[in-house]
Amino acid sequence: MKKAITDLLLLGWFWVSGLLILVILLAIIIYLIWRGGPFISSGFILESPGGFPLGTEGGIFPAIKGTLWLILLALVISIVPGLLTAIYLSEYGRSGRLAEIINLLVQSMAGIPSIITGLFVYALGVVTLGWGISLLAGGFALAIMVFPVIVVSSRDALLAVDENYRLVANSLGVSKSYTLYRVIFPRAAAGITAGLLLALGYAAGATAPIMVTAAAVIASSSGALLEPVMALPYHLYILFNEHLSMNHAYATALVLVGLLLFINILALSLSSLQERINRH
Amino acid sequence: MIYRGLGLKEKIISSIIISVATVSSLLLLAMLIFILRESWPIWSQIGVSGFLFGSSWRPLNTPPEIGILSMIVSTMWVAGGALLIAAPLGFGCAIFLAEFAPRPLAAILRPVINMLTGIPSVVYGFLGAAVLVKFFEVKFDLASGESLFAASLILAIMVIPFIVANSEAALRLVAPEYRHAGIALGVSRQYLTLRILVPLARKGMFGALVLAFGRAMGETMAVLMLAGNTLRLPGSWFDKGEPLPALIALELGSTTPGSSHHQALFAVGLVLVLMVIAVNIGINLLLNRLQKGG
Repeated sequence: MKKAITDLLLLGWFWVSGLLILVILLAIIIYLIWRGGPFISSGFILESPGGFPLGTEGGIFPAIKGTLWLILLALVISIVPGLLTAIYLSEYGRSGRLAEIINLLVQSMAGIPSIITGLFVYALGVVTLGWGISLLAGGFALAIMVFPVIVVSSRDALLAVDENYRLVANSLGVSKSYTLYRVIFPRAAAGITAGLLLALGYAAGATAPIMVTAAAVIASSSGALLEPVMALPYHLYILFNEHLSMNHAYATALVLVGLLLFINILALSLSSLQERINRH
Repeated sequence: MIYRGLGLKEKIISSIIISVATVSSLLLLAMLIFILRESWPIWSQIGVSGFLFGSSWRPLNTPPEIGILSMIVSTMWVAGGALLIAAPLGFGCAIFLAEFAPRPLAAILRPVINMLTGIPSVVYGFLGAAVLVKFFEVKFDLASGESLFAASLILAIMVIPFIVANSEAALRLVAPEYRHAGIALGVSRQYLTLRILVPLARKGMFGALVLAFGRAMGETMAVLMLAGNTLRLPGSWFDKGEPLPALIALELGSTTPGSSHHQALFAVGLVLVLMVIAVNIGINLLLNRLQKGG
């Protein structure tokens, strides 16, 4: 009897904690839509912040633009080193000593707090190289932050490609780079793209690294490399922290979360497409 | 591997790939060395123990008082407290997904976990500050509801997905024979899970917890918006405090390069990053031993 009660309580614990995850996500989304939804309009998306102090009226267009610039620059900087490192780990190094070390370094990089990346880029880019608080410094910081994400996801996508393709190409005398370019890469493309999207989403939501390297309370975000930019997550922080406008803060949070969930869902469907490709 | 000797082109391609991979991964060491260099005057003038255990942070005084004990204590409270809340829920959810969840429900929950990790920390911090802190203020009639506890609560929500994903993977690695034997003996599903599967997966589950601890220590925005940001030594979980990442984020912009305030913030960064790396390396050694043992 006592045993049955314990079993029932345990079952309750498992179900409650399982369903809690779902409840949390739904609560966040519904609450943001409820509080922020009414304030989203074409004007909010397409206008610059206005009113006095700035941000109490108007919209968030420069912040959207700034975030897009930042993640684009981060991707441009990190994509080549990230992919090449992944290729080394999956195709060239495999289980060698160097690959083991690189794997460990990349893994440790993934664990580095993003504020530390910001601190490093602040000292190197903003101060020493004289970039100042700028789009360039922010893009560089975000690039360092997403580099391990790109490496790990692309490496795993490449490693998941059936080993037989490599063996057959090898036995036919096809060169390694040609095999990689024409056989392995296309078969891993969906998974790699999913990883890149995740990296973009990760960069778009990051606040701490751009707070010390790139973000301004107000800027035009024209895309000039050495100018500060506005960014959605930082704008949200400022709207709340400086008590500018709670309504705009909720609406900005909704736009940001909507953008990230969209990217996330796209990445998830690409990875399930990849799984289907791998099974064939 | 005969083709390796065949073309100069192949050799060039592979050496480019090797050098890019090596150089980009070495960036981590470059970061550490750079931060160490920037903070060097602090270590040589104040000393390691003076910096770590000094309890007064007045970097603008002459002479500056630079000690970060209260921030280290805050960091530990916030991150440790987050785990205290997240562990039972995260493990419960992992067990649920691995053993009990009906298939369609599990198929919904897994992407949900992914999406929770996709929500940025500033949004968690904002919601925590706008909803949770407000709730504390009204409910307990406080002047301000920010506290280490509030930060822990939100951090817990942020690290639960990581605990779930990693511990579920650990549970799934347990060989199916144990499950079959348990079922054949007629023990309940719950008994089987708690007494047989969890002990077998405990290293992986512990690893998930340690990894979450590292994340919680380095998290900036949520903590910045919720912990209250006072520089006093926190006496309890419900006091205000200012964890290390928040200190860096708040003060970096206002320092003059070359000042001891500036150098001190880099020393703070070095301490934080070494704490996180120590946790990561510890977990790697643990997992390697696990793989070799199994």
